[in-house]
Amino acid sequence: MKTISITTVPGFDEWRAAARVALAENLHPSQLLWRTPDCPQNDLFTGGSDQLIVRPPTASAIRQQVKVPPAFMSLCEAALCHRDSGRFEICYRILWRLLHENRELLNHKTDSDVIKATALAKAVRRDAYKISAFLRFRKTECRGQEHFVAWYEPEHYSLELKLDFFKTRFKNMCWSILTPYRAAHWNTEVLRLEDNPEPLIYPEQDEVESYWLSYYENTFNPARLKVKAMQSQMPKKYWHNLPEARLIKGLIRDAEPRARAMLDKAEGGD
Amino acid sequence: MSDKLIAKLAVLSDAAKYDASCASGTAGKRQAKKGDKGIGSLTGGTGICHSFTPDGRCISLLKILMTNYCIYDCHYCINRISSDVKRARFSVQEVVDLTINFYKRNYIEGLFLSSGIIQSPDYTMESMVRIAKALRLEHGFRGYIHLKTIPNAAVELQNEAGLYADRLSINVELPTQAGLNKYAPEKDLLAIDGAMASMKEKIDEHKNSTTYTGKRLPRFSPGGQSTQMIIGADGSNDKTILTSSVNLYDQHKLRRVYYSAFSPIDHASQLLPLKPAPLIREHRLYQADWLLRFYDFKLDEILQGANGDMLDMQHDPKLAWALSNRQLFPVDLNRADQHLLLRVPGIGARTVQKILTIRRHGQLRWADLVKLRLPLQKIKPFISVVDYSPSAKLLETDQLSARMAQPSQMQLFGGMV
Ligand code: SF4
Repeated sequence: MKTISITTVPGFDEWRAAARVALAENLHPSQLLWRTPDCPQNDLFTGGSDQLIVRPPTASAIRQQVKVPPAFMSLCEAALCHRDSGRFEICYRILWRLLHENRELLNHKTDSDVIKATALAKAVRRDAYKISAFLRFRKTECRGQEHFVAWYEPEHYSLELKLDFFKTRFKNMCWSILTPYRAAHWNTEVLRLEDNPEPLIYPEQDEVESYWLSYYENTFNPARLKVKAMQSQMPKKYWHNLPEARLIKGLIRDAEPRARAMLDKAEGGD
Repeated sequence: MSDKLIAKLAVLSDAAKYDASCASGTAGKRQAKKGDKGIGSLTGGTGICHSFTPDGRCISLLKILMTNYCIYDCHYCINRISSDVKRARFSVQEVVDLTINFYKRNYIEGLFLSSGIIQSPDYTMESMVRIAKALRLEHGFRGYIHLKTIPNAAVELQNEAGLYADRLSINVELPTQAGLNKYAPEKDLLAIDGAMASMKEKIDEHKNSTTYTGKRLPRFSPGGQSTQMIIGADGSNDKTILTSSVNLYDQHKLRRVYYSAFSPIDHASQLLPLKPAPLIREHRLYQADWLLRFYDFKLDEILQGANGDMLDMQHDPKLAWALSNRQLFPVDLNRADQHLLLRVPGIGARTVQKILTIRRHGQLRWADLVKLRLPLQKIKPFISVVDYSPSAKLLETDQLSARMAQPSQMQLFGGMV
């Protein structure tokens, strides 16, 4: 039994380095115990196992690099951002099986490891997509310059998957995105990451927000209330960071009387 | 910005909300180049949904009218000249500022601008073009712009609009001229058709040709064109509506036809029906439209499952077609070709791909269907796999159609396709 301690989140790079060493030492997945910062209880079971020493790969190791399908790497990149503490184990197991059992494993859509990893990746991609959708910037000033700040609580460690998106879209803006585990700061040229940031720099308000609220309210059609359809796309767990969400309750409450009033008016033929 | 501007925004977003085309279409990828001072990007697929309102619709674009003053008198429209609705008008600068300010806060993917007609179609169209031009040239805006062009505006203006917009559209509104005569007397189906034809020509020209120096022409409405039809305001049946969609897709290569169930509006005209058109009808039209575009269905096949000239409201159009073609079922999932797999009720295009992949490595069994999380109850009568085939009775019984009918609750909660 060997223990591997992953010390950063999401831990993709560490996992890759460790997996490489473990493969070189021909360690079967069942011989490995993955310890993660978000799952300390694994400590209980580590008695009697050694740490796997992960050294930077030697030149010869690099030469005989393991070749895996690109689809596997992109699967891992997403799946390893999940909070599930079993993520490292499952990705390593698939890697092992790809090399020792079946190179086509990923095409076996009904294999339970593949199903599990795909589900992790899917959850992460959805979570990451929601960052690009639901994150809201507020404007503030920083040394006489416009600076946009957002506070966002992703479900997984998926901020990293969206940094390119923000860098591209808001390339000429200075911005900071704060999450509970990490912040990203962009000054139009360099991206700086900061662990466990101070949430206090998030501005209390932004004058444009009232325009947004007014837009949200008025683009809603009360004659077509479909609360479930809304919630399937924008579940309640996102609401507390969305400024417009505080209008939802009132809009739902008043929708029926408003729609009825419209009908009545039409029938009365004003 | 000011309270007055908020009041305007309220009026002009309220007036725009009846337009069905909410999402931004696909217009390829785009981003600021190195050293360029602009803002924004297009990510490829359809635009991001930045929020959802309690009517279940996605907010992707700032969808507003430039003004809701209008000199026309279309009866189904809240902005017609004879309605006593509150009026407002944005300046060019105000629309530009709102768009940029919303965009910078990550509220939207871009702008969807339409307008009532003030002074003249040309005057209106020209102001709209100025907005798009200022966004692109002064602000280097690389987000999405959809302009609803004004019917009867000069073709030169439409041509200029296409240089700045990702998508242009003209609403057909009603599928027949008779309907238009009654409800939108100033509108002319032939003129709309002509505008679409010239737009298509321009789009093709810019896509395929180069200038004499070998440079590519600038992009012209790269996201193509779309249109909208109002359902249930006039007497057009589903066959008429879908026939006209098929023509629009074939002739003018439209990207999308949107269907909007007529919904009662404030200050409605007396000519209009009193009741809203059922949302389920709109839903069924979208489903049929989807089958036409992505599932190899022909219009007459879809009509096989219809009740006369109206789609079946109880069953979705694919299921309705299957119920009237029972002799083709059950379909053997391990043998059937892609065309036939796509026709099995409850199996979508994505699942078909998965099935084909799995087949390369082995045979499908019932347990695999469970793992793929297919809607087993729905597909059961229509398929067979190695260890399962439906009893003949299951397909024959008349109860099948009743069993498959959707509970009427769907009317309230059925999402868009
Ligand atoms: S032209 Fe457009 S805005 Fe004017 S009344 Fe007709 S549909 Fe409404």
